[in-house]
Amino acid sequence: MTVAREAEPVGSLHEVREAGLDREDLLSVYRNMIITRGVEERGHILYRQGKIPGSFYTGRGNEAAAVGVATAMGPDDVGTPLHRDMGVHITRGVQPWHIFAQYMGRQDGPTHGRDGNVHMAESTLGLIAMVSHLPAMLPVGVGAALAFRIREEARVAIAWFGEGASARGDTHEGMTFAGTRELPVVFVCDNNQWAYSTPTHLEYATEHVADRAQAYGFEGVVVDGTDVLAVYREAKRAIEKARAGGGPTLLECLTLRMEGHAVHDDAFYVPKVMFEKWAESDPIERFRTWLRANADMTDEEEDEISTGVKKLLSDALQRAEQSPMPDPADLLHGVYASAEDLDTPHHK
Amino acid sequence: MAELTYLQAISDALRTEMRRDKRVFLIGEDVGVYGGAFKVSLGFQEEFGPWRVIDAPLAETAIIGACTGASMMGLRPVAEMQFADFVSCAWDQLVTVAAKQRWRVGTPVPIVVRLPSGGGFSGGPFHSQNPESSFAHVPGLKCVCPATPEDAKGLLISAIEDPSPVLYFEHKHLYRRIKGEVPEERYTVPIGKARTHRLGKDISVITWGAMVYTADEAAQQLENDGVSVEVVDLRSVMPWDKAAVLDSVRKTSKVLVLHEDTRTGGFGAEIAATIAEEAFEDLDAPVKRIAAPDTPVPFSPPLEKAFIPQVEDVVAGLRDLAGY
Amino acid sequence: MIVATEIAVDVVMPQMGVSISEGTVTKWLKREGEQIEADEPLLEISTDKVDTEVPSPASGTLVQIFVQEGETVDVGTKLGQIGGSAGAAPAPAPEAAPAPAPTPPPVSVPAQAPVPEPVAEAPAPAPQPVAEPSGNGKFVSPVVARIASEHGIDPNQIPGTGRGGRVTKQDILAVVESGASPTATAPSAPQAEAPAAPPQAPRPQPQAAAAQTGEQVEPVSAMRRGIAEHMRRSLDTAAHVTSAIEVDMSKIVAARAALKKEFQSAYGVNPTYLAFVARAATDTLKDYPYVNGELRGDSIVTRNYVNLGIAVELADGKGLIVPVIRNAEGLNLLGVARGIADIASRARDKKLLPDDVQGGTFTITNPGGYGTFHGTPVINQPQSAILGTYALVKRPWVVTDEDGNDAIAIKPIMNITLTYDHRLVDGAYAGRFLRDLRERLENWEGDGG
Repeated sequence: MTVAREAEPVGSLHEVREAGLDREDLLSVYRNMIITRGVEERGHILYRQGKIPGSFYTGRGNEAAAVGVATAMGPDDVGTPLHRDMGVHITRGVQPWHIFAQYMGRQDGPTHGRDGNVHMAESTLGLIAMVSHLPAMLPVGVGAALAFRIREEARVAIAWFGEGASARGDTHEGMTFAGTRELPVVFVCDNNQWAYSTPTHLEYATEHVADRAQAYGFEGVVVDGTDVLAVYREAKRAIEKARAGGGPTLLECLTLRMEGHAVHDDAFYVPKVMFEKWAESDPIERFRTWLRANADMTDEEEDEISTGVKKLLSDALQRAEQSPMPDPADLLHGVYASAEDLDTPHHK
Repeated sequence: MAELTYLQAISDALRTEMRRDKRVFLIGEDVGVYGGAFKVSLGFQEEFGPWRVIDAPLAETAIIGACTGASMMGLRPVAEMQFADFVSCAWDQLVTVAAKQRWRVGTPVPIVVRLPSGGGFSGGPFHSQNPESSFAHVPGLKCVCPATPEDAKGLLISAIEDPSPVLYFEHKHLYRRIKGEVPEERYTVPIGKARTHRLGKDISVITWGAMVYTADEAAQQLENDGVSVEVVDLRSVMPWDKAAVLDSVRKTSKVLVLHEDTRTGGFGAEIAATIAEEAFEDLDAPVKRIAAPDTPVPFSPPLEKAFIPQVEDVVAGLRDLAGY
Repeated sequence: MIVATEIAVDVVMPQMGVSISEGTVTKWLKREGEQIEADEPLLEISTDKVDTEVPSPASGTLVQIFVQEGETVDVGTKLGQIGGSAGAAPAPAPEAAPAPAPTPPPVSVPAQAPVPEPVAEAPAPAPQPVAEPSGNGKFVSPVVARIASEHGIDPNQIPGTGRGGRVTKQDILAVVESGASPTATAPSAPQAEAPAAPPQAPRPQPQAAAAQTGEQVEPVSAMRRGIAEHMRRSLDTAAHVTSAIEVDMSKIVAARAALKKEFQSAYGVNPTYLAFVARAATDTLKDYPYVNGELRGDSIVTRNYVNLGIAVELADGKGLIVPVIRNAEGLNLLGVARGIADIASRARDKKLLPDDVQGGTFTITNPGGYGTFHGTPVINQPQSAILGTYALVKRPWVVTDEDGNDAIAIKPIMNITLTYDHRLVDGAYAGRFLRDLRERLENWEGDGG
């Protein structure tokens, strides 16, 4: 039995305008999705060329869910994106060369080689860096919302988690606290149907993850995660509701993880028919088709975006490759924070 | 100056900071309406309101995680674990997120977690532990253990000021039994600095928390034997005042490390190893440790007495060292 | 994108997962000499986790393939090269140069079984009242050892008030503070011989006797008390007997004259008579293990090593220290001479280490510096004998030629004594030791070998 509301797809440009996006914004959304995929495809190549140490994760198939939610965030809102949410970093303005430098463990990456993958964040862009223990950032996102509530600021926190991570206690505790206090937080579940090799029916016993929201006192919504505009519309609703004091929402974005858990995993356990079916719903291809049909995107515009992104990424890679490897002499620095570290807009 | 109990000194520090700095708030189970299980925050919600003295659900992960997130947004949260023993429920948040955020990504997490710790009143295995060594072992966390009311106030204020996560171990058995002079104004006690509780020249006792008083009583008995025992109150377990400890060891050449936590892997092991490593040529006797045995904390009084290091145990250890 | 390259770019085996350490080349998609574009699939590999293509890291010519299809190599291994010039296959890791045959050190100190530390045993855990140490000496704690070496004090000379009679920090500080931190001088000693571990029970501070007219009274220092106690105890323990032998040192004098210049200029060391005697005595001890041995309770302990103690006088008659040359049996004349020079200078400069004053098995003392020709030194407990060397004196001496005719010649003669513990060493045994020693000295050749 379903309890969560299932979102309607978005139809026309007019509907989209009502949701707050004009044509320029739409092309921008498209571009962000192209960059997101481009960064991850390049990363995949770099990894197989032996230039990225450790492991490598992508969010192929999640571009719409990530970019859609991030586009709905306000400038002062904050989020705790995860490893399938590269689109959030891109949409918030993280530069691709930072991401490549981070992947390759270089000195000029955001963590200076101290952490890898997408375990990075630019706090000035309202992003909080994830950890491997999922969903440990969910209560942290709730904490950000708590701060907004205490200070009565019109800001919202977005806390991401996967359908697998929803099994852990952090989810329950974070949602309990947020629900009882009606905190301004939106919980976004990236449901890509596979937690490594574990299918959904072994992670939750309800039909949807979003069905649980009611148990915590707020609304749950399921949306087609490959439809960037539908995601945007639902995310915008939820975020503004929270901003207005309406409390949390659980937004479940349904997609398929189109690659393995990480690049070393060939996902043999995913039935081929699933891949085939969801390939037909590729988020980028889907949005491109919609733009051609509903927003008159031209060949020139498309080429311009495509060429521009290629150049952006090749310049970014070059810049990242120029960054040296980190110096072990710095290893012990910064275990504890100093007063200077607190000199950020947030901490004042 | 006022004479306050250890508990009153903690309340005083918290109240002082909450009045001075709007960013400081308290969150924990039963801290609001009830005033806290030990009444540390009695009257606070009336003064500061429900959004600065927050009654949390029974959810330590959410409590600590929320503190982490709120601190990243510029607030200065003080979390109360109802008993130090319950911090194990929030271990992941402390060790995985809070401890590592600054080093990993440059984001400080200025939170304080207050932990009513220690035994001696038949609290049993889950209401009596001293878990400081597990957290002292995690890079990025600080651990403080005041023994006196004066230090309790100063250290809590320092902890709140500190930009790193600080675990503040307040010993329950000292709450109402220990009284002392506490300055009325706001002051800080530096984290990482020890204090000489008792000056001596024949043996050094390195200890913290409630054991400071046990050591002092034992030292008094040894004085009657003509042996002069120095008691060093570490006050901070991480970082700890290695220089002060080594100075004392160089002076006396005989040292006893004493703590209420269990022996194996207790923080005394780190201190003893450091002394052996860095003051080897100053030692006139092996480095001795007295600590609780490696069991959970027992409930029944005779068992608990055999568990918690008693004055007689420390006296025997000191006499053994003196006669070496 | 990466530009076509003139410089060589390596193609390496990637790490396809955190736990992966190797991969197999399954198929090269290009042959040597063929062109390739950057990112174009270049080869296929197989690992435990996954099979995949490896995209080319650069555009250019696949100049060389190093790893063939079917081969399995470690992650990071160079598989091929794009661009640059084809050279030899990358040199395998250079083989470690074969270790050179170890040259025997000039002064060989052969590895021995670890030297037992007679004084290194920790006292029994339970507080025992003063246990008789059966001659082993006492445990010296790190701080006491450090203070002892800093001040050139032999901790074994000091009465100990610690457990088992050990010297505590207080005990040695008391000695230091009483001003008994003298400097050491060149080996020459009056009858206050080789002191060792003093008895355990703390003696009460003696009352200063009241001065009678014409008398001066000074308190006995802790060091003096220690020496007094050791001397008394040594005489009370061992059955002291002394035998003496006169040695014609002509060959030694000649050898010394011959070697002196070379030793000085090449090694900066003076070959003293003491060095010759020490060398000969050490050799002789091999055949007379009891002289190098120890009576320990109901056991007789003998060793296959010699830790040679050399008595060194401290200034102003304040006392003695006996630093030890370890494993003297492995030293030749030069080694012995150096050893003596080293410990003498370190004793002088108060740079002796705790090890330097412990573990001796046999002692040589040289009171002859003042001209005395005979003496009966006190044995250094827990050893069993002490050798004394005396003044080298030119004497009229009867010499017999090959035909059996006697004549008087002038010979440099040295009296040498062996004072031995008759509980373990019998007179004849000692006599044979001295005879053999004399033979070595009187037949000395060159540097003694």
